[in-house]
Order: sequence, then structure tokens, then C-alpha cells
Amino acid sequence: MNAPMTPFAKPWIANPDGYRVPYEVFTDQVYYDQEQEHIFRGETWSFVGLDAELPNNGDFKSTAIGDTPVIVTRDQNGQLHVFKNLCMHRGALLVRESRGNAKSFDCVYHQWSFDLTGVLRGVPMRRGVRGEGGMPPAFDMANFGLDALRVEVMNGLIFASFSKTVEPLADYLGEGIVANIQRIFNRPIRIMGDYRQYIHGNWKLYAENVRDPYHGSLLHLFHSTFGLYRATQKGFTYMDPSNRHSLLKATASAAPTSASEDQEVYKDVRSYNTEFHLKDASILVGRPEFDDRASLVINAIFPNLLIQQIANCLAVRQSVTHASNAFEIVWTLFGYADDDEEMQMIRMKQSNLVGPAGLISMEDGEAIEIVQDAVIRDGKKTSVLAMGGVHSGSVDHMITEGPIIGFWENYARYLNLGADLKK
Amino acid sequence: MSQTITAAHSAAIDALHTAYLAALDKGDMAAWASTFAADNARYFCISAENDHRGLPLALMYDDCRGRIDDRVSFVTKVWVGTYEPYRTRHFIQRLSCEAAGNNQYRLTSGFTIMMSAEGGTTAVLTSGEYRDLIEIQGDGDKFRAVFRERRAVYDADVLPRYIVFPF
Ligand code: FES
Ligand SMILES: [Fe+2]
Repeated sequence: MNAPMTPFAKPWIANPDGYRVPYEVFTDQVYYDQEQEHIFRGETWSFVGLDAELPNNGDFKSTAIGDTPVIVTRDQNGQLHVFKNLCMHRGALLVRESRGNAKSFDCVYHQWSFDLTGVLRGVPMRRGVRGEGGMPPAFDMANFGLDALRVEVMNGLIFASFSKTVEPLADYLGEGIVANIQRIFNRPIRIMGDYRQYIHGNWKLYAENVRDPYHGSLLHLFHSTFGLYRATQKGFTYMDPSNRHSLLKATASAAPTSASEDQEVYKDVRSYNTEFHLKDASILVGRPEFDDRASLVINAIFPNLLIQQIANCLAVRQSVTHASNAFEIVWTLFGYADDDEEMQMIRMKQSNLVGPAGLISMEDGEAIEIVQDAVIRDGKKTSVLAMGGVHSGSVDHMITEGPIIGFWENYARYLNLGADLKK
Repeated sequence: MSQTITAAHSAAIDALHTAYLAALDKGDMAAWASTFAADNARYFCISAENDHRGLPLALMYDDCRGRIDDRVSFVTKVWVGTYEPYRTRHFIQRLSCEAAGNNQYRLTSGFTIMMSAEGGTTAVLTSGEYRDLIEIQGDGDKFRAVFRERRAVYDADVLPRYIVFPF
């Protein structure tokens, strides 16, 4: 609480040979507390769910922004609300179920009852019992509604903010990111289900991971082995003007320009094997469904969302923080409401690609944990971000760490780290 | 229907369960795959949360025999070196068994999986329920039980780590 800002005084270094981030950002509680205040409860929009998860009036889900528990609910008029999941009496967690349908939210402790718009409607024993006790005349129920967050819904994605002053969502995201949301959420979706995975590492290691197109074909050998994504593939790395968000996009053909080029690029890669064949190759047989024919789109939205399109595997991934060394990923996979049966089957098969046991995502969990475990005693040492030149911003290739630099520039800005981190 | 199982079939089913657990506890993926019917079999690993919500999404969705074999290759070939080795101990108890005709039985069993990471302590990975369609193949005194379908419905809302081996 109110930790001194001195730990932030040291400058982060952006030299021509690399942008350096001190490892203590992943381990030190001071950073964690400041992030909760200045990022998750600060001037940002956080993803909290899909409106397709709450189809009916009265539907609710509980989730968290950073580590602050919130309730997302659709009131009796169909309006979406997001509240802090905190009883206004003495602070009990108001909703304990992860999902449900309710007419009101009733606190179990003393049964204060809130309607779905957050208004306090009932206080048992408010007038006392047999003329004794009761709330004082000055107690006005109108002053004890739930803490409501700002809410904006874009193409069915629900975002919430604790800030009264943050720019409107569309401005926060920028045109290019809004265009990708419109591209993927172009019609009603059908939810396939969730995965939830606990990762024993800092949430920012995942923020780096999803802004890192360079690791794709190196860590995830399924990619290069089966040609879902290769570094020889054409693609681009887009960043919004603020460099908070990124869009990594690979175009359809993963075929190498020539076999010899492929061999050259991957000559140092362990167990890369173009000879390996699947017994059931139907997992790789998709159906083009976007005009741009992109096979891989990884759209990281600051601070807690990732939107993915990997072939026909569509998902949102929400990060929920638990501690400086623990966070959770909630994946929601979806298709479209008008998918035919074959398309539903394609998406089911391709769901094997992602999630806690995903063929191209299992390793991300491991990569994060081995970094966390190793840097714990080396807080003053730094990583080095240099691939693709030491700069953020859009480039017309994917062999870059630029989006990660963009993340850190913004991180430093939100936490007011003080150093001029731009080159 | 539950009374219709013979002692010999029941023993074959027990042997199948034992073979399955022994395979996974040894990390022997080929032996795991060989507990499934050779021609046509399915393996699904799904969260209780999705199952309760009536949603199809599975952690592992192997809807044909070929994908069960491919999962062996993913673990033993593609993923080699990328995951932290861990060992498991599976424990099960049978909850119900019903004859389903054609030498087939529907079974449910509770399971617990303990996990020991290399250099670490032992912890519960998850518990859950197996929902099986088991077939007795062969006749006379030479028969064995195989899975036509195994559906592992795991209880953990949040998995404690990434997952390499099937449940
Ligand atoms: S804490 Fe909720 S009613 Fe008392
Ligand atoms: Fe990855």
C-alpha cells in the first residue's frame, strides 16, 4: 500500500543494441500493487466477457479486472452492467457463483439485496425489531448502490473501466484494432466453451509472449512441423498509434519459398522435422472464411485481452492476475451462430491447437514459468529486446520484438516510471 | 441392467482400467493408445464446467483413432524438450456399470490424479469422472476389454498448470 516510488527511479535502458527491462518488474510486489492501481483500475479498458455469454435478462457472470472481482450482468431491460463484486455493507463478496441467472444479488452475510442495476433495494431489520435497533434516520439506501464501472460493448465484446476519464473505447483501441474486432466479430457468435489455466508466473510475461511473433515457429514446433506457421511466411506486425495494442498477422500460405530457404532458416532448430506426417490430417483441414485469407491473427489488447484467429480456431483470452508470480488465462472459444455442422466440427478439431494442452500453446505456459523461476533472484538484471531493431511500431514482417517494446513503453507511462524510454 | 455383467467381463474391464492407469503412470503413450479399440475409438478430456453448461469444448478432442495415435506422436515427438517432465499417479473407483448390448458396457468411475513435477513435491492435478463405452472383444477364454470411447470429465475449474498427458 502506497509503496514509495523510489524503486522506479532507475531508468530503463534503450540502447542501439537492445531495450532492457529489469526482471524485478516480474517479481516485486511494488510493481504489482502499482499495476493494479494505475493499469487495471486506471486509465484503461479491460475485457470482462462476451455478450453471448449473457444471452438472457438476469444472466450474470463473475470475473476479475486485474485481481479486483467484478460482476457482469444483464438487467431486466437487457442493459449490461459491471459492478465491483463487493457488498456495500461490510465488504463481503456479493456473488460467489461463476455464472447464473438472478432477479437480485443478495448478500449472504446480512442479506442486503441489490437489484440488477446495482441499486440497494432491501436491508433486513432496517426499521429494527419490535421497535428496537434499526438503521438511523440518516441512512439513505440510495447512497449504497453497488460500485458501477463504465461499460462499453463493441461487436459483442464487453469492456469495463474503473476510470471516469479514460477515452471512449473506440479511441482507446484505435482504428486498426477496431477493424480487426469488426472483422472477427462480424456476425453473431456461438460459444463453444472455456478453458481456464493457472500459470505460475507474472501476467506481463504473457503480455510479452502474445506480442512476440518471433517465438511462434521456434517454441511451438507443431507450427513449423506441420506448416501452420513458418518464419518464411509473409506477414506483418501492426501497432495502434499508442503502441499499446498489437496485431500480428500471417497470410494464408505457410509454404516456404523454397525447401532450401526453409532448411536454412530452421537449421539451428531442435527436432524440426518436415518428414513427420499425421495419421489424421483433418485437424489441419480448415475452410477459408476471411477475405484477407490470413491464417494467423494474434491481436493483443492492453491490458488483459487477446483475440486470436488461428486457421478456423477463434478465441478470446483474458488474463486475470492473482499475485506477482501467478495469473490465470481464461480462454473462450467460439464459432458463428450460422456455422454448418461441418464447420462446427472443423472448429472442434482445431480447438486441440490451443488451451492448457494446446498443440501450439501448451509450451507458452512452460516458457513463462521457466522465466519466472529463473529471474526471481536477479531483479536488477535485465532482459534484452532487440529482434527487428530496437523500436516499437508497425513493420511489414513478423521477425520482431517491437510490440513488446511498445507494451513496456506504455507500462512505464502508466506507472509513471519517469525515464524517457524512447530512443 | 447392471446385474448382467459376468465375472469374467468384469475382470476384463478391471484389467483394462489397470492397463490404462499403468500406461499413464509410466508415461507410456503407446500403451495408453493401445487401450483403445484399434479400428474406431474416441477420447475426450473435458472440464466439468463445460460439461455442466452443455458446451462441447474439450481440452483434448480425439474423435477418431488416428488422432489418438497422433496424440502419442505429439507428446513423444513434437513436444519433446518443451515441457517440464512430470509423473502422475491415477486412482479410480468404479461408480456404475450398465450393459449396453453387443458386448458393450457403459461405465462411470471417479478418478484422482496426483502429479509430481521433477524436483518438486506431489500435488493433486485434478479429480474427475471417467464416462466410458467399453467393448469386450474376442471370445472363448481369449477376450479383452477396450475403450470405444473414454470421456474424462475433470473437476478443476482452473487447471493448476499446462497439461501434456491425457487424463
Ligand atoms: S456484508 Fe453484505 S449484508 Fe452485511
Ligand atoms: Fe506462443
